[in-house]
Amino acid sequence: MGQTITLEDVVKRTPDLPSIPAAALKVMRETDESTSNAASIAKTLSQDQALSARVLRLANSAYYGLSKRVTNLQESVVILGMRCVRNLCMVAATYPWMSRKLDGYCLGPKAMWSHSFGTALAGQLIARMSKKASEDVVFTAGLLHDIGKVALSVWLENKTSAIVQYAELAQVSFDVAERRILGYDHCEVGEHLGRQWNLPDEIVAAVRWHHDPDQCQPSSNIVDCVHLGNFLTMAMGFGLGGDGLHYSVCENSFVRLGLQPDALDQITDQFVTGYEEYEKLFEDLSAA
Amino acid sequence: MAVATPTLVGMAEIHVHQGPALYSCIGLGSCIGLVAHCPASGVSGMIHVMLPEAFKDKPIDKPGKFVDVGLPELVKMMAAKGANTNRLVAAYAGGAQVFKIGADVSSRLDIGKRNAEAVKDLLEKLRIRTIAHEVGGSNGRTVTVDIASLTVKVRSINEGEKVLCVLRG
Repeated sequence: MGQTITLEDVVKRTPDLPSIPAAALKVMRETDESTSNAASIAKTLSQDQALSARVLRLANSAYYGLSKRVTNLQESVVILGMRCVRNLCMVAATYPWMSRKLDGYCLGPKAMWSHSFGTALAGQLIARMSKKASEDVVFTAGLLHDIGKVALSVWLENKTSAIVQYAELAQVSFDVAERRILGYDHCEVGEHLGRQWNLPDEIVAAVRWHHDPDQCQPSSNIVDCVHLGNFLTMAMGFGLGGDGLHYSVCENSFVRLGLQPDALDQITDQFVTGYEEYEKLFEDLSAA
Repeated sequence: MAVATPTLVGMAEIHVHQGPALYSCIGLGSCIGLVAHCPASGVSGMIHVMLPEAFKDKPIDKPGKFVDVGLPELVKMMAAKGANTNRLVAAYAGGAQVFKIGADVSSRLDIGKRNAEAVKDLLEKLRIRTIAHEVGGSNGRTVTVDIASLTVKVRSINEGEKVLCVLRG
């Protein structure tokens, strides 16, 4: 790849590496606590004005169809609920950098976003059907599962095609080819980044094992939901890059979640319909 | 000279035109983009199908989602524009699959393969001649069609763009 760079270097030396605003992370943690309420969530969120403005804009988007305009954060938490505001907060925190193009993975503008948001939604749907994982945690984990690509993209220097060629010749999946060529894959880079951002362990596990859920010890239903959500999103062609569908799917994830593979078509249909509805929200994201 | 804008055929959509037209199906994973043309009338149509068959226990919101109801709907819409349904020719691409290594993966998870088989079988049943197709593999694809020249092109990030066929009946 032109120069040897270690995994740690990727995380330390990548220029313009994004981060999750501290207020967004605090909101995520607070919503998990039984003592939180609309006032406390609003207070935390208000520490970041840019993030607050984006969350309010999203809360007023056509998607939610509110009868009157929401003008303050506490009101938005009361009307939309803590879970919804938590997810909006993560969307508002990630959209600005996830919608950029990633040349290293041949992902055009908004392709990474489309794939990440698709995985968040599909994973959430799978969590709801299985009743075996927190929908909100799966949503956040799905949204963040490919953060390693954001850091690694710069260093790939448009060599994705070469990695794909190797994967095809060696009959291995893209993440395995990344490991053999680079010494690490985008999942491991994402794990480092997630720890640097101080993300909760369950989300870091999903970032690390989303292509190989059987390797996660102990097994995690959150990882399984994100793995299957990622699979569905790839199959439906949301934000496919040079790595395309060069990945494996783990049938054990279905088994652990108590889902039959026969349910896949129904899940796919619901996922695509749900995603289309969210496009109203994207219009406001673009303007925000 | 102004460049005509292609009709973007989104997921589960069916578009039909009489006369010269440009179509584009972007970002096909396991889905299939299929174009049909009637040389007698100049009527053409394109569909972007997601799944092989509609659900028996659920109303169909968009016929273009499913191969088994979408393809007959495409033929019906083309006939309404004046196509001779006995003379239709078609080309299609997509149906990519995840890359599996040694895993005993259920064929139900192979949406791409199931879509490709369903399209092939139904085209035969409907007696629509397939001029060319490109299915399978693990790359995402974009299909573009220029009805004026009857050219069908397929592009993927790793393999670039190539002419799949000329839709001559």
